[in-house]
Amino acid sequence: MIARSVLAALFALMLGVSPVSAQEKVPVVATFSILADFVKNVGGDRVAVSTLVQPNGDAHVYQPSPADAKTVADAKIVFMNGLGLEGWLDRLIRASGTKGAVVIGTKGIKPQEMKDEDGGHGKEHAREHKLDPHAWQSIANVKIYTANIRDALIAADPGGRKIYEENAADYLKRLTALEKEVKEAVAKIAPAKRRVITTHDAFGYFAKAYGIEFIAPQGVSTETEASAKDVAKIIRQIKAQKIPAVFMENISDPRLMQQIAKETGAKVGGTVYSDSLSDEKGPASTYIDMMRHNIRQFSAALTS
Amino acid sequence: MTAALEFKNLTLGYDRHPAVHHLNGKVAEGALLAVVGPNGAGKSTLLKGIVGALDPLTGEIDRNGAKKETIAYLPQLAEIDRSFPIDVYDLVAMGLWHSAGLFGGIGRAQKRNIEQAISTVGLDGFENRSIGTLSGGQMQRALFARLLLQDARLILLDEPFAALDENTIADLSALIARWHGERRTIITVLHDLDLVRSRFPESLLLAREAVAWGKTNEVLTADNLAKAKRMCEVFHPDAPVCEAAA
Amino acid sequence: MYDYLISPFIEFEFMRRALVGAFALALGGAPVGVFLMLRRMSLTGDAMAHAILPGAAVGFLFAGLNLFAMTAGGIVAGVTVAVGAGLIARSTGMKEDASLAAFYLVSLALGVLIVSLRGSNIDLLHVLFGTVLALDDATLLLLAAIATISLLALALIWRPLVLECVDPNFLRSVSRSGAPTHLVFLALMVLNLVGGFHALGTLLAVGIMMLPAAAARFWVKELTAMIVLAIVLAILSGYLGLLLSYHSGAAAGPAIILVAGILYAGSVLFGPVGGLKRHFIPVRHLEA
Repeated sequence: MIARSVLAALFALMLGVSPVSAQEKVPVVATFSILADFVKNVGGDRVAVSTLVQPNGDAHVYQPSPADAKTVADAKIVFMNGLGLEGWLDRLIRASGTKGAVVIGTKGIKPQEMKDEDGGHGKEHAREHKLDPHAWQSIANVKIYTANIRDALIAADPGGRKIYEENAADYLKRLTALEKEVKEAVAKIAPAKRRVITTHDAFGYFAKAYGIEFIAPQGVSTETEASAKDVAKIIRQIKAQKIPAVFMENISDPRLMQQIAKETGAKVGGTVYSDSLSDEKGPASTYIDMMRHNIRQFSAALTS
Repeated sequence: MTAALEFKNLTLGYDRHPAVHHLNGKVAEGALLAVVGPNGAGKSTLLKGIVGALDPLTGEIDRNGAKKETIAYLPQLAEIDRSFPIDVYDLVAMGLWHSAGLFGGIGRAQKRNIEQAISTVGLDGFENRSIGTLSGGQMQRALFARLLLQDARLILLDEPFAALDENTIADLSALIARWHGERRTIITVLHDLDLVRSRFPESLLLAREAVAWGKTNEVLTADNLAKAKRMCEVFHPDAPVCEAAA
Repeated sequence: MYDYLISPFIEFEFMRRALVGAFALALGGAPVGVFLMLRRMSLTGDAMAHAILPGAAVGFLFAGLNLFAMTAGGIVAGVTVAVGAGLIARSTGMKEDASLAAFYLVSLALGVLIVSLRGSNIDLLHVLFGTVLALDDATLLLLAAIATISLLALALIWRPLVLECVDPNFLRSVSRSGAPTHLVFLALMVLNLVGGFHALGTLLAVGIMMLPAAAARFWVKELTAMIVLAIVLAILSGYLGLLLSYHSGAAAGPAIILVAGILYAGSVLFGPVGGLKRHFIPVRHLEA
C-alpha cells in the first residue's frame, strides 16, 4: 500500500518536473507556409510555429525584417526546405545568433534538377547544380519531410515523443489517402491531354510523380523578364501539340498568361498554388487542401 | 496732350530698399523719352514697373487704361535660350502673338508682314537661320523686328544698343525714329549721351530720384550730371524707414 | 528577309500587339521627350519613376492588386509631384531641378512608409510595371488614349510651349498662359511615363522617351523636324527591338532600349549636326 502511494507521489513529482506541465510550447520557426503546415501537423499543440514568408509571399526573393531575426533567435528549431530555396536564410541565421537547431526538411529526398529551357532561367536558385527546390510537390517526398520533422522535434523535445509519433503517423496516413486521390484524378485525364502551361516552373516533382507535363513561359525565378523568343516558342508549342490549358499562379504577372491563352485558344484554368499556401480564407490554406485544390483545377481544365 | 503714363509718388524697389524713389511726372503720348543716369539709378527697375513685372512699394503708375497687348518691352538681357531649335522667322513671328493668339492661323498678309519686318531690320536672307547662329547685333535686329510686329502703342527699350556696332545702331535708331513718326510712345534707357543728345528730344535724368526731366539740352547739363553722379549707388544695409513713405 | 523581318508579326498576335503598343508610346512619348531634352529636364523621367510610388501604394491599400487603382494612384501622385514642383519653381527663387528633387524624394519616402505599414512583401512596383509582350485590350486602349491626348494637347499648347522654352519673359509680358502651359506639359509627361510604366516597365517608358529625342538632335536643326524624327526613331527602335528579342531570346524591354541606344550612338558618331564625324572627316567651308 505504502509502496504504491510512494510510487504515485514519485510519479506526480516527475510530472511536476517534466517540461510539459509548465504548458510551454516549443518555439520553432518554419521558413515558409507549406513547411509550417507540415510542422503544425506533426507538432500539434506542443509547438508554437512562426512562419517567415507569409502566404502570398515569395520565398525565392524574401527580404527578412529585424523582427524575423528576433523570432529566429528565440527558436529552438529552424525548419528550412533546403535545395537552394532560401538563399537569404544563412545570413539571417548568422545575424540572429540563434542556438536553435537548423533542420533541412528535404534531407534524404532524391533531388531533381531544374527543367532548363534555354538561357538559364533558374539563376536565382541553387548555385551548385540548379536543383529544383519544390520537392513538396510530390506527396511521397512530403512523407520524408514529415519523418524528418518528427525526428527533429523528438530530438529537441523528448518528452513529446509519443505525441509526435502519433501525429506523424496520422499525417502519413492522410498523405497516403491524398496520394491515392491525386493518382486517381490523373488517371481520369486522357493521356494525350496531360499537359499544362503555367507561369511558374515549380511543378517538376509533381510532373515526375503523377505524369502531368508542365511547361512554363518563364523560368522559375519571378524576376526574369520574358523574351519574345520564349513566348513565341510556347505559343507554337501549345498550338502544335494542342495543349488544352493555361494556369495562373499566385505570384507572377497574370497578363502574360492571358495573352498566351488568348492567342492559342487554350483554356485559362483557375489559380494553382505552388510555392506557398493561400491565406486562411483561401482554398489552399493547408498542404493537403492545396494539393486537392490544384489537382481539381487541373482535372477541370483538362477533362472537359 | 493726353498722358500715356503718369507716375504718382512712385517708389519701386527690392526687399524694401527703393531703386526708384518718389517719382512724379507724366509721359505724354507720342513722346520719345530717353532715361539716363548712373549705374544703379533705377532705370531698368522703372521699365519693369511700367510693364507690370514689379509691383510698386508705394505710389502708382497710371497707364491711362492701356492694356497689356499695347505695351512692348525689350529687356536689357534677353533671357533667350539660343540653343532652342527655331529659326529667325519663328522668333520674329512671335510678335504676332496678339493677333494670332493660341491657334490663329498666320494668313498671307501676316506672312508678308513678317518678311517685311525681317527686311526692315536688315536681316534679309536670315529667315531660316537658327537663332543660335546669330551674332549679338543680328539677334538684336531680330528682336526689333519682333517689336515691329507687336505694333504696340507704348514701347519700352532697356539699353537696346549695348555692345552693338555703329551700323546696327544707326539702322535701329532709324526704326525708332519711324515709330516716333507713327506717334507711338517710346521710352528708352541709354548710356550713350551723344546719341541721346542727337536723337532724343526729351530726357529723364534719374538717380533714384528724378534729378531733371524735360528737354534734353536742358536736362543733360554738367551740373545735373555731376549731381546725379553723387547720389549713392549701393543699397544702405542699415537705412532707416523713409519718412515720406507715410 | 521576309521571314526575318515580317513573319514574326504575321504569325503571332502578341508581337502585333507589342508593336502597336510601342508605336503608341512612341507617338505620345517622343515629342514630350524632345521638349524635356531641350529644357534640360532629361533626368526627370527617372525621378518620376520613384515619385509615383505613394500613389500606387495608396491605390494598393484601397483596392489591393488592382492595376487600375494603382495606375490611377500613380498618375495622381506623379501629377501632384510634377505640378507641385513646377509651381514652387515658378513662384519662388528655387530652380526646377532642385524643386523636383525635393518633391520626389519626399514622395518616395512616403511611398516606402505606406508600403511598410501594410506589411506586404510583394514588390509593388514590380507588380505595377508590366511587359510589352502582354498587352491586353485595356492596356492597348490606355496607351492609345495617352498617345491621342498627348498629341492633341501638344498641338493645343504648341505656341506658348515653344515660347515658354525660348523666351519666357516675352511670353510673360504678352500673355498669362505661361504657367498653365508649363503645368499642362508636366501633366503630359507624367501621363506618358505612368502609362508607359504600367504597360511596359520603367526602363522602356523612359528610354523610348529620351533616347530617340537625344538621337534626333544630331540630324536636324528645326523643332518640328526634330519631333518627327524622334517619333520615327522611336518606332524603329520598337520594331527592331522586338525582332531582336524574337530572334535572339533577349528580354523584350531591354532589347528595344538597346536598339534605341545603338541608334543614338550612331547619331553621335555620324550625325551632321554637332556629331563627332566632323572631327574625323573634315569638310570644306563655304564661301559666305
